[in-house]
Amino acid sequence: MAELAERLARYIAHRLPDSADVRVRSLERIFGGASRETYRFVLEYSEATGEVERSLILRRDPPGSLIETERAIEFNTYRAFYGTSVPVPEPLWLEEDASWLDHPFFVMEELKGFEASPQAITLPPYAQHAELIAEQKWSILGEISRADPAVLGLDRVMESVAPDECGERELRYWESRIDRDEMAPQPILRAAIRWLRRNPPAPAQKRSVVHGDYRTGNFLYDAGGTIRGILDWEMAHLGDPLEDLAWGLNPIWRFARDGRAGGLVPREDAIRIWERASGLRADPEALRWWEVFSCVKGQSIWLSGAHEFAAGVNQDPILVIAAWLMGNSQDRAILDALGRMP
Amino acid sequence: MTPDLGRFLEVASAHLLQRSAPALEAGYEQSSVMTLAILLGVAREEVDRAAARRFEENKALRDFFRKWERVIGNAELRSRIVAASGGSDPSLRVPDLEENNAMLRALLIEMHVEVEQQQGDEARACEDALWHELALSTERRRLSLGPF
Repeated sequence: MAELAERLARYIAHRLPDSADVRVRSLERIFGGASRETYRFVLEYSEATGEVERSLILRRDPPGSLIETERAIEFNTYRAFYGTSVPVPEPLWLEEDASWLDHPFFVMEELKGFEASPQAITLPPYAQHAELIAEQKWSILGEISRADPAVLGLDRVMESVAPDECGERELRYWESRIDRDEMAPQPILRAAIRWLRRNPPAPAQKRSVVHGDYRTGNFLYDAGGTIRGILDWEMAHLGDPLEDLAWGLNPIWRFARDGRAGGLVPREDAIRIWERASGLRADPEALRWWEVFSCVKGQSIWLSGAHEFAAGVNQDPILVIAAWLMGNSQDRAILDALGRMP
Repeated sequence: MTPDLGRFLEVASAHLLQRSAPALEAGYEQSSVMTLAILLGVAREEVDRAAARRFEENKALRDFFRKWERVIGNAELRSRIVAASGGSDPSLRVPDLEENNAMLRALLIEMHVEVEQQQGDEARACEDALWHELALSTERRRLSLGPF
């Protein structure tokens, strides 16, 4: 860790040419990053106006991960939303030259002192604020859905997609990951993919920025029930806004184990809040397609993690937790979404 | 082997959770050790049933193929289904059972595709029975810590 801190300090000194005595201290890895290695650290340096101290986050590409993503898109999405009604930490530096820290990375502000755990949100002191958190969670998603990608500048960094191609493009992508990574036949998953192809969704009512992993566990909240930051934009893309809504409704995120979406409120409430905030409609048929799709995408992610672990590319135990605990639940969620749960 | 594997995994999990993890500073390593403890607990749940659930499922799939092979129109697929329905597991070793399970589930996918394309009540009845078997397959694999 000391060597990494030293190299990181060298890099930041290079990015802050007017600073002196750049130091990185208290560098520690944060558990749970499934697509990036995430570290927190304190940056100290001197500049003309005095001493500076900042708490920052380093997000570095790992050797292998649950998902393959473009860190440039993630960084630019943070940059696009920073300072808007969608709360995100300030992104600072993106570096794609792997010679600095062995892998590409970016650095952003740390939002300190808040909770992200999807389990903690179901317990005191947070549980009493479930409705308040839900109101913000799906309102913020509505803001993301309503935002104009062109105004945000994200149409220049994210791949364009036609409204009637959103579903098929995503399905094609995740199916290709399944084809590549599955280590055993997946009859339920394959049946879901065929169902999706037989029942294509209506064209997207709007091309939106899609967060790609918008769920409980990927935002920071405080003890008063206020959401302080939306994180983990590594799968952000342009697409159908219903994709994000459906992903958050996936039964595998029912952390309170009582049927509430995201461990917070009934699914109908979540949909109502999102519709109000986005000004868009969650057509039940289209939403159902995206909910089945979200199960396929989820299972693809769990299968890829299992493959990475088995292949020895990345042996973080979180990949096994995901594969073992989520895999079967995801199959059950497919049965539920297709009306095949006995 | 005594104490048995399940008991060992229980003790190892508890040791990591109650002794090793608290001795570490809060952070990545502590969380990793706690995750490993949970995984040992999950492994303990699986180890008891690993052979039994595969043996049961392989038998259920062969029974299913025997019962429904008549609805398969594709002669080549039907002959493979019939051959598989008459097979057996060479041993109760988990890798052997798993290899057969993968072969049978791959055939089930092919059969599912075929049946979905057919019209008629019998095809629908077969499809319903196939989905029922798939639902049972998730029950056999269900873990107490699974979120859904």
